[in-house]
Amino acid sequence: MSLSVGLDVALSGLSTTAEQTAVVSRNVARAGDPHASRKTANLVTLPGGGVKLASITRASNAALFDKMLGATSDAGTQRVLLEALNRLDETINDPELDASPAALVSKLGEALQRYGAAPQDAVAARTAVAAAGDLVQGLHDATQVVQQVRAAADAEIASSVDRVNTLLVQFETVNREIVGGTQRGDDVTDQLDQRDQILASLANEIGIRTVRRANDDMAIYTDSGLTLFDVGPRSVTFDRTLIFAPATAGSAVYVDGVPITSPQGPMAAKTGRLPGLAAVRDTVAVTYQSQLDEIARGLIGAFAESDQSATPTLPDVPGLFTYPGGPAMPAAGTILTGLAGSIVLNPSVDPTQGGDASLLRDGGISGNPAYLYNPTGASAFSDRLQQLTDRLNAQQAFDPAAQAAPSDTVAGFASSSAAWLQEMRKNASDDADYKNALLQRGSEALSNATGINLDEEMTLLLELERSYQASTRLIATIDNMLGAVLQMVG
Amino acid sequence: MKTTPISTSALSESTRLFLTTLQAKLAQTQKEVTTGRHADMGLSLGFRTGEVISLRQEHTRLQTITDTNAVAATRLNAGQAALKALAETAQGFLGQLMAGAISNQSQQVLQTQALSGLSMFADMLNTTIDGASLFAGINADVRPITEYQAPGAANAQAVASAFAGAFGISQSDPGVANIDSADMQTFLDTTFAGLFDPGAWSGTWSAASDQNIRSRISSTELVETSVNANDEAFRKLASAFTMVADLGTTKLNQDAFQAVVETATSLVGQALDGLTKLQADLGVAQERIAKANDRMSIQMDIMANHIGVLEGVDPYEASTRVAELLTQVEIAYAMTARIAKLTILNYL
Repeated sequence: MSLSVGLDVALSGLSTTAEQTAVVSRNVARAGDPHASRKTANLVTLPGGGVKLASITRASNAALFDKMLGATSDAGTQRVLLEALNRLDETINDPELDASPAALVSKLGEALQRYGAAPQDAVAARTAVAAAGDLVQGLHDATQVVQQVRAAADAEIASSVDRVNTLLVQFETVNREIVGGTQRGDDVTDQLDQRDQILASLANEIGIRTVRRANDDMAIYTDSGLTLFDVGPRSVTFDRTLIFAPATAGSAVYVDGVPITSPQGPMAAKTGRLPGLAAVRDTVAVTYQSQLDEIARGLIGAFAESDQSATPTLPDVPGLFTYPGGPAMPAAGTILTGLAGSIVLNPSVDPTQGGDASLLRDGGISGNPAYLYNPTGASAFSDRLQQLTDRLNAQQAFDPAAQAAPSDTVAGFASSSAAWLQEMRKNASDDADYKNALLQRGSEALSNATGINLDEEMTLLLELERSYQASTRLIATIDNMLGAVLQMVG
Repeated sequence: MKTTPISTSALSESTRLFLTTLQAKLAQTQKEVTTGRHADMGLSLGFRTGEVISLRQEHTRLQTITDTNAVAATRLNAGQAALKALAETAQGFLGQLMAGAISNQSQQVLQTQALSGLSMFADMLNTTIDGASLFAGINADVRPITEYQAPGAANAQAVASAFAGAFGISQSDPGVANIDSADMQTFLDTTFAGLFDPGAWSGTWSAASDQNIRSRISSTELVETSVNANDEAFRKLASAFTMVADLGTTKLNQDAFQAVVETATSLVGQALDGLTKLQADLGVAQERIAKANDRMSIQMDIMANHIGVLEGVDPYEASTRVAELLTQVEIAYAMTARIAKLTILNYL
């Protein structure tokens, strides 16, 4: 051993301390980044006593990370579902506001009762027809909201698919750097962080599983098992539908030509925003629309006119409410898609369209005298109005596919539709809260396991400072010793 | 290698999230305290929202029926008043008919009485309420009874031509004095009575419909809430007034007039019985409305209670929660500030 060896070792100590300080400052700089993982400098002792920075590793926890990805996907699904249901709730709102289709039906019933009590009153007649007009408008508005929700979901699916594609391309670049860097033995910890961040964003859009392979290579599959990335990204494709009508069916999202958003499909993705949005567009909003359609059908049925001849031969025809398919009645007990958007007040009874409101009392709205209930035109004739009230309050059969009450009054069916929506909303909200809490806990646990603690870095810095000081002292001492030797010689 | 059990970002993130959660809850609870109802009905009630909506519907429906019952009740009250007035007039007329001996003077008085009775009869039966005739059945936009003394009135002309047909002279002809009581009786029982048969009545006297106004007085009950001018009682009363007023009364000989008075007396008596029956009918309807109103008011109270139970929030509980949340928020603020201060940098 010689003094020069000691000097070399002290020098190597100085340089590794500098490198370690660099790692600490990298940690400190990213302390606020929730995705940052803590970097550690690994030292090795060289033969002969020196030290050298062998590698930099990052704190990681694959199990916690995967759990966090899962929680992200779950929370994503629930969040879009809840947002859509909150939009649909616009059609119902607080029961006190009486703005729901159910409340509008009951207002019509109320106006009919008032008209029935004063059948000779032209104002009461107009009020009743106006209430019917409000109801029609309410159903049109609700249909519009539902279709807007569907169109918005479709647009979001499109942007979500774009995002997935962009993320997969980014993933390819980062993954290649990681594999190459690992093979070369470079520091790839920053790229690994970046890759984790991409995965987290991806998991928000669609549920994923990852498989780690040699050289830190990674493949991504959807939670249903379709390959999203293996060496290269797979193409995720989607055709956006621009305008949504009740009968419009949006197109599916395909990965490599396999649909992942049809709920019955064997490869349907289960979690993430994409399947959530698809469920909104293809199931939730469609069911709600069919409930509105059934309300409209129930109204047309309740206000239908029947042949009043001594021996009736003519079929029933739509009365106060009609639709483009008239004068035939819509088929009983079956959803007629889009009816809530196309139901209209019969122009012959609507004063704002030049009609006569008292036809509501007298019948014959369809224009055929065979359907006159009050052929003499007696002004206080209330039988037809009472009959309408009875029919509005009579049980009807509704299509069970609409998922609301299968047999109820029109107003009762409308209430059960509101109940259906609010129950969905309550469940989605509870679920979203729960999934969010899980995500929060998961992220916290992951951050605690792999994240940076400033205090730890600071104490480490103190240590490094001391070690640097000690090394310089060593150098100074060795210098003195060498000086002493030289003096002795000189 | 990482040794610490917590990261700096997790530490600050958790206090931040905790605070926002508390604030969101606080806003919601404050709304509940001020309104006394759930902040978001749908979220709090779920499928029971349907129940609330149904209850509200039922409540407004009963309220509307109660409101419209007031209209029906007004009509019934007005009908009762008119019937009562008519009955009093008829009673008075009956008294006059039965009162004194027949003389020229009393013939004059009775005719005046009968004429005023006739106009009173038309007035009462032509009563309107809110623009709707009370006794016109469902033809509420017409005045049911033709005024007898109006020029060219169809009913007066019908009587005149029947008289002329039977006796060959007009009612004002002095020859009226020669009509004997048997002829007069036959005329009264056949031709004249025929003028007040339902068919003839609807032709000349009345434009009312036989069909009475029906009102819905509860969810299930439909009752007739008017009587119409075609009822037998009205026809009999009109015929009694008319025979005394317009069959040449003052010129008739005493025997013939006696026949008229006797027939009129019996008719007025029958009419009075009929009027009482009509009053009873209206009374029954009035009672049913009152009972329906009572029943509906109880139902509405129960519903309002139930709506309150479903929609309402206990204000005491909510305000306690607000106080609690406020304390929590304050603690959270203090903690955040202290944790932020807690860094090793201060000691280096």
